[in-house]
Amino acid sequence: MSEQVAFQHIEKKSLIGTRIKKPDAPAKAIGKTRYINDMVLPQMLYAKILHAGRPHAEIVSIDTSEAEKLAGVYAVITAKDVPDLKLGFVKDNAPLKGKVRCERDEVAAVAAESEAIAAAALKLIKVVYKDLPGVFSPEDGLKEGAPIIQERFPDNKSLRFEFKHGDLEQAEKDSDIILDDEFNVHYVTHCCMGTSCAIADFDHNGKLTIYSQTQYPYNYKMDLAPALGIDPGDIRVIQPPTGGSFGAKLDVYPFEPVAAILAQKTGRPVKILFDREEEFINSPTRQPAKMHVRTGCTKDGVLTFRSADVLMDNGAYTSWGPTVPVIMMRTVSGHYRVPVVDFKGQAVYTNNAYAGSFRGYGNVQMTYATAQHMDMLAEKLYDDYGLDPIAFRLKNAQESGEVTPQKSFLRECAFAECITTAADASDYVNKLKKYTAERATDDRYKRGIGLASSIHNAGGAKIHKSDGCGTMLKVDDYARVTVITGASEIGQGIDAVIAQIVSEELGVPVEHVTLVNNDSDLGPWDVGVHASRTTFIAGNGARRAAIKAKKQILAAAAKQANVTADELDLRGGYVVQDKDGAVVIKLDRMLRQMHFQPVPDVVMVSDYYEPNSEPEGKDHISDHSAAYSHAVHIAEVIVDTYTGEVKVEKVTMAQDVGRVINRMGLEAQMEGGLAFGLGFALSEEMLFEKGHLKNPSFRDYKVPTAPDMPELDIHFIESDCAEGPYGAKGIAELPTIVIAPAIANAVYNATGIRFFNPPMTPEKVAHAIWDKKRTAS
Amino acid sequence: MSDIKHYIAPTTLEQALETLALGRVTILSGGTDLTPQVSVGRRHFEDTLMNIRRIEGLSQISMQGDEIRIGGSATVSDIRYHDLIMKYAPLLCETASHFASEQIRNAASIGGNICNASPAGDMIIPLLVLGASVELASWTKGVVQTRRIPLDEFFTGPGKTLRNSNELLAAVIFKKPSADFVGFFRKSGPRPALEISTVSLGIGGEMKEGKFQHVRVAMGAVGPTPLRGRQTEAALEGQKLTRTIIDHAVLAAQQDASPIDDIRATKWYRNHLVAVFTEELLYNVCQN
Ligand SMILES: Cc1cc2nc3c(=O)[nH]c(=O)nc-3n(C[C@H](O)[C@H](O)[C@H](O)COP(=O)(O)OP(=O)(O)OC[C@H]3O[C@@H](n4cnc5c(N)ncnc54)[C@H](O)[C@@H]3O)c2cc1C
Repeated sequence: MSEQVAFQHIEKKSLIGTRIKKPDAPAKAIGKTRYINDMVLPQMLYAKILHAGRPHAEIVSIDTSEAEKLAGVYAVITAKDVPDLKLGFVKDNAPLKGKVRCERDEVAAVAAESEAIAAAALKLIKVVYKDLPGVFSPEDGLKEGAPIIQERFPDNKSLRFEFKHGDLEQAEKDSDIILDDEFNVHYVTHCCMGTSCAIADFDHNGKLTIYSQTQYPYNYKMDLAPALGIDPGDIRVIQPPTGGSFGAKLDVYPFEPVAAILAQKTGRPVKILFDREEEFINSPTRQPAKMHVRTGCTKDGVLTFRSADVLMDNGAYTSWGPTVPVIMMRTVSGHYRVPVVDFKGQAVYTNNAYAGSFRGYGNVQMTYATAQHMDMLAEKLYDDYGLDPIAFRLKNAQESGEVTPQKSFLRECAFAECITTAADASDYVNKLKKYTAERATDDRYKRGIGLASSIHNAGGAKIHKSDGCGTMLKVDDYARVTVITGASEIGQGIDAVIAQIVSEELGVPVEHVTLVNNDSDLGPWDVGVHASRTTFIAGNGARRAAIKAKKQILAAAAKQANVTADELDLRGGYVVQDKDGAVVIKLDRMLRQMHFQPVPDVVMVSDYYEPNSEPEGKDHISDHSAAYSHAVHIAEVIVDTYTGEVKVEKVTMAQDVGRVINRMGLEAQMEGGLAFGLGFALSEEMLFEKGHLKNPSFRDYKVPTAPDMPELDIHFIESDCAEGPYGAKGIAELPTIVIAPAIANAVYNATGIRFFNPPMTPEKVAHAIWDKKRTAS
Repeated sequence: MSDIKHYIAPTTLEQALETLALGRVTILSGGTDLTPQVSVGRRHFEDTLMNIRRIEGLSQISMQGDEIRIGGSATVSDIRYHDLIMKYAPLLCETASHFASEQIRNAASIGGNICNASPAGDMIIPLLVLGASVELASWTKGVVQTRRIPLDEFFTGPGKTLRNSNELLAAVIFKKPSADFVGFFRKSGPRPALEISTVSLGIGGEMKEGKFQHVRVAMGAVGPTPLRGRQTEAALEGQKLTRTIIDHAVLAAQQDASPIDDIRATKWYRNHLVAVFTEELLYNVCQN
């Protein structure tokens, strides 16, 4: 081969920005992928959990004797078997409960030979409860004499966050317009296609192997250990293919230690797999929030201040949900230039479901408020002072080099370009005026257009001691590359991105890069898939490792060819002359020559990339992400003013992505992210009545279906982020964040009605229109 | 689920009816109602699970004399694309196209939709508009016996019908509509696909010399059973569809409907939709 191409020249071709196929896509499409849900281990037992099914009660007694007697049952456990084990963000949760604080509470668990036997055994457990008065709203939780949910927190107050900047009183005086509204964001849940699952297996040395859907395998060990009373070092996490996470697996939840405790007790592998109804009731939700938001503005259209007072239903336990103010406040202080900021967030324990992290992380909630306030101001400024709605936004849009009151440093900021690109592409201003004028007609169907935007961290978020990621990379004798990365793959596509980056640096085909990232005993540390960080952080890590490998190879090749290393390059599986691409030697041959010599030179490199961001800190004044990004969505809707149905026809999206890496993956993230926001905006809602979930099924919890998806016109703005890999920024959350307020603004444009309490269901919209007509006549 | 002791899949109606006569049998057709109901504990399997999908001829759609006969295990997809139905009762095809999703339509049977007797069963509405009857078959005294019940008398409550446990719904039958027949169907839910009706409405009749005759109105999800809108029918019968008549019909439709609040919609919204759909369908009739 090498002889034939001896005179060949290989051009430099970049893969960055091209479309790379996700390596596991065909297997997933034809149903060949073996998800964790499909896994069976030899001698495996099946576990089921008995949930309380009542919101607040004392457990007077539990009798498990009948269940234990059932043939095929190997173990039955209750809280008394695990008295001191704790889990959760403030360690207020336990694998099994001695007192019931919410409907899902885990009261007992059974391991048996089959799921059916385990289910039958649950029915034989006799629990006597003494129901207690419950708390079902944060307001009620704060009342004098309210029932106490968590003994450690007698005032029911959970986490609190504050950030203040500037003189609010003065800013109010300086304002010509002050908006003051309450936005009330509802409960939704992730609805992963793969329901929650864990398989736990202890070896004879007391080491636990847990097959998990977790999206943060390394800190997961630290969080799981106290729930088991073992050392985190004795936990190995294996991550088989998972059917979605979206934040739902960013914490340890009780079913995981329960599986492990049962495995410990029985000496057998134990699997817990939720059915869909269990999944609805027992997985985390998005954090609901009541947001009292005020925004001030001068008549020239300059923002003067923003304040937000956020009340959150903590539910019975504290997972990631009530920490979302950390991100909310960055939006309050940074989504458009806001000189004066006053943010307060308080979470209150109740007997409701509890929230975890969820794509968008507080920003879905807060942007629903801020982006509507911007729209309301734009309308007022146009009506009263003739200011153009786009000019108003551009006037307040942040620019490169600006630092927000919380010290987010916007090094490369393409917000203004996002606004103008989306506005021009959709003919926003003309349509806005046209539809406003058409509002007064008697037509049944009304059109509307709405613009919304937001900011989000796009280079991780340093809320842990490190926001880094480790990478180990080897290139073998056949020029095949193995990358062992800390970064998890939960469907988002880091597998394709890392292969692409390594292929870019080492000049090998994408298919020749193998990713190993599903075993915590192999992989180096990473903080997890969250905060839109993985392409940014793990991508940087993979790139740096590949560059090291490349240096090593080129140094050896240069020595052999008697040139300097910078005269050489790696392209198309060859070492070539950099200047004209003339082939020097085939790469695999070069690698074998390096390997098989008296002093072997084998390519095995490693890297730990730590982004240049600052720790969040207690006062929340820090440049907590290595990059920030903006997105603008413009939604065009048709509202059936009779039935209240809102059809989103088209969405124009403009997002600062830094630089496109894998175009196909990026487009998929835009589409998928938008679908999440669409459901949140229009149809998805968990309906609770006194802590009881009334719609735990896809029949009554309405996720969008394929025909709901609008036409998308996607514009990637490339701001070229200095710290990001090839200039890229993190991108995955903004598409979910921005769409709902864009729809709300469009519905307003169509109907003249504001919806501060999503989802905008047909009934809610129809009722509001009917109500408006009635009060008008 | 483990309660099933026998599973059988007869190929003839006789075998099926004989089995049914023995008692403790659950009839399985497409299973799209049955399986979810069993898995949430709303009902239990009897000793014998009998799959009726292999019974020869039970899914046939045919014209017999001046009647159209749809076999009990014909699927919603079978109906949607059948030449006879498209020609004589396009109303059924239209309804079928709003039914669930492709996958469910391929499994869901007309017999299952009717026997499940949900107030929101979609296919029931156009069948009521077409004046259909059900044919129930049983094994009595060693022979196959059949009886017919008009569909508008068949339902006695949510999930309840006049069918005896030894009877199989063999077919649904309606008279071939006349050339003047026009009929429309409308359902609502927050999603364009996979939606259980919040409210459904069907209106049909013959338009002769500008007058609407032999009018039938049917409503779903606004009462304990799918129901005929008798007052609406009376308001429309023999009338020219003027603005005033339509207004009367809308008021009458709200009288006919007796919806309740549930998690899918409030009573207010259901009543509101009944009014909207009545007006909309009558407008369609006028346009036709
Ligand atoms: C995702 C989803 C979406 C759906 N969407 C819709 C929708 O849009 N509109 C709608 O109306 N319904 C909908 N359904 C409900 C269901 O699909 C229909 O009611 C369907 O027609 C039931 O038919 P089947 O053949 O599956 O019935 P099965 O589930 O097999 O049977 C239903 C009941 O009828 C009995 N039965 C069946 N056939 C006979 C017979 N020939 N004689 C006597 N008894 C019989 C069974 O014993 C059982 O009690 C949906 C269901 C699902 C799961």
